[in-house]
Amino acid sequence: MSAIVKVTNLTKTYGGTAAVQGVSFELEENKIYGLLGRNGAGKTTIMHMLTAQQFASSGDIAVFGEAPFENESVLSRLCFIKESQKYPPMFTVKDVLEVSAMLHPNWDAAYAADLAGAFGLPMKRKVQKLSRGMLSAVGVVVGLASRAPLTIFDEPYLGLDAVARSIFYDRLLEDYAEHPRTVILSTHLIDEVSRLLEHVLLIDQGKLLLDQDVERLSGMAYSVVGSAAKLDAFVAGKKVLARETMGAIASATVMGEAGAQVRREAAERGLEFAPVSLQQLIVHLTGGKLGEKEAISS
Amino acid sequence: MNIAQRGRMKAVTSTILKDKFSWFLLPWIISGSSFVVNLITAYFAKEDITTGGVASLYIYMLAAGIMSVSSTLPFLLGFSVRRSDYFWGTGGAIGLVGAICAAGLTLLSYVESEWTEGWGIGLYFFHLPFVSEGSAPVQFLIYFLLIVFLFYLGFLIACVAKRFGKNGMFILSIAILAIGTVWSYVMTQQGWWIDLGHWLTDRTMLELAGGTAPLTLLCMAISYALLRRTSV
Repeated sequence: MSAIVKVTNLTKTYGGTAAVQGVSFELEENKIYGLLGRNGAGKTTIMHMLTAQQFASSGDIAVFGEAPFENESVLSRLCFIKESQKYPPMFTVKDVLEVSAMLHPNWDAAYAADLAGAFGLPMKRKVQKLSRGMLSAVGVVVGLASRAPLTIFDEPYLGLDAVARSIFYDRLLEDYAEHPRTVILSTHLIDEVSRLLEHVLLIDQGKLLLDQDVERLSGMAYSVVGSAAKLDAFVAGKKVLARETMGAIASATVMGEAGAQVRREAAERGLEFAPVSLQQLIVHLTGGKLGEKEAISS
Repeated sequence: MNIAQRGRMKAVTSTILKDKFSWFLLPWIISGSSFVVNLITAYFAKEDITTGGVASLYIYMLAAGIMSVSSTLPFLLGFSVRRSDYFWGTGGAIGLVGAICAAGLTLLSYVESEWTEGWGIGLYFFHLPFVSEGSAPVQFLIYFLLIVFLFYLGFLIACVAKRFGKNGMFILSIAILAIGTVWSYVMTQQGWWIDLGHWLTDRTMLELAGGTAPLTLLCMAISYALLRRTSV
């Protein structure tokens, strides 16, 4: 696997306060990454620097092995869909798609038209007159139809309803399977996108807290469901991240590996295993109790 | 320059020119409405009327230079366009618009002076003494140079605003005002205003318009340097 993004010690300060602090990571080709973190954590700033739209205060960025600033060969291979994207006042949806076609070498016009139909986008309407959800849909269409080797979505679903969001997720997975590329999804709706993600980067207060494969991450905790009394006995002495009770039935998310012995122990008590929620895990990991990256990536 | 790069500049040019109304119609609507008012006046006037109403087209170009940046730069940088491609793509757009406007003005100048003799009622709106002297190519060049200069002056102002924000514009305005005041005082003290007046009247319009070329290039160079450091 080759790294297509390499960020080293990236820092961005605004008038004395650091929005991004000493962040280093690498992204491999043809994977879907989740850039997660709370609002204001520094995710958007990092993406702006990756795409040479903002300047780093210090540190290095290499995209496709080169510095992105004013670099034709890098910039023509990326597509950054951001929540704050501006459009010219007179532009219609059709205009946006036409210009996108000129800027993205892999642009698939038929696919773009198909997607625009799926989201019910009015092609002749001015972009500035679109609702928030429709505006997000324009970004989603451009991002998917660009088929850019590095496609970045920054909170792409604002204002999209649940149906439209699931169209986005489904289309992304479908198209990704046919045309593999590297995708970065920046979001705070972790549970919704967790089935898409292969790797997670977690940013908190400008720092990288976690850089981990989702598979390994899911292995770090497990969930058990069963009668409350038996569950309590089972989790005694274990590290419980979350516990929920519904009548006599309770579930608990437990930190640690679900090894053979744990499974046997649970089975003896009549408890069932369930997949752990990425969101719960991440909330816990950023809660400060296990906040250090070193502590969990070893 | 490779083909892909030219393609991205073309994307910038076409993004700007997609607003056909603002670039191809509005300049003529603005100067045209001034023309109509003058036409009515000239119809009732007993003497020939010579008016500078066509200046509205040039002033519009200054405004267009300012507006063009705010309406297209954030969009295009967001869509992974290089700042240099934005710069040269804008140049392509204003080159085309400037040529069309200059050709239109030259044609109207001829229609007015040679073919209709002031539209039959003695109105001189497009063919002005001093300004419109010379052959068609000379007139075209004069109009073109002025339009492009005013556009880039506006473009520079917008780039300063984009790069340094409101405070930057404020400081720049004060600085220009202060320097202008001092310089004007020095000119008065030394009696240079009269020299300047003589110097200007000794020049032909082509010389004056040609004199804007280095200024245009300066505006372009500073704008480019500012764009390179502009973030979205």
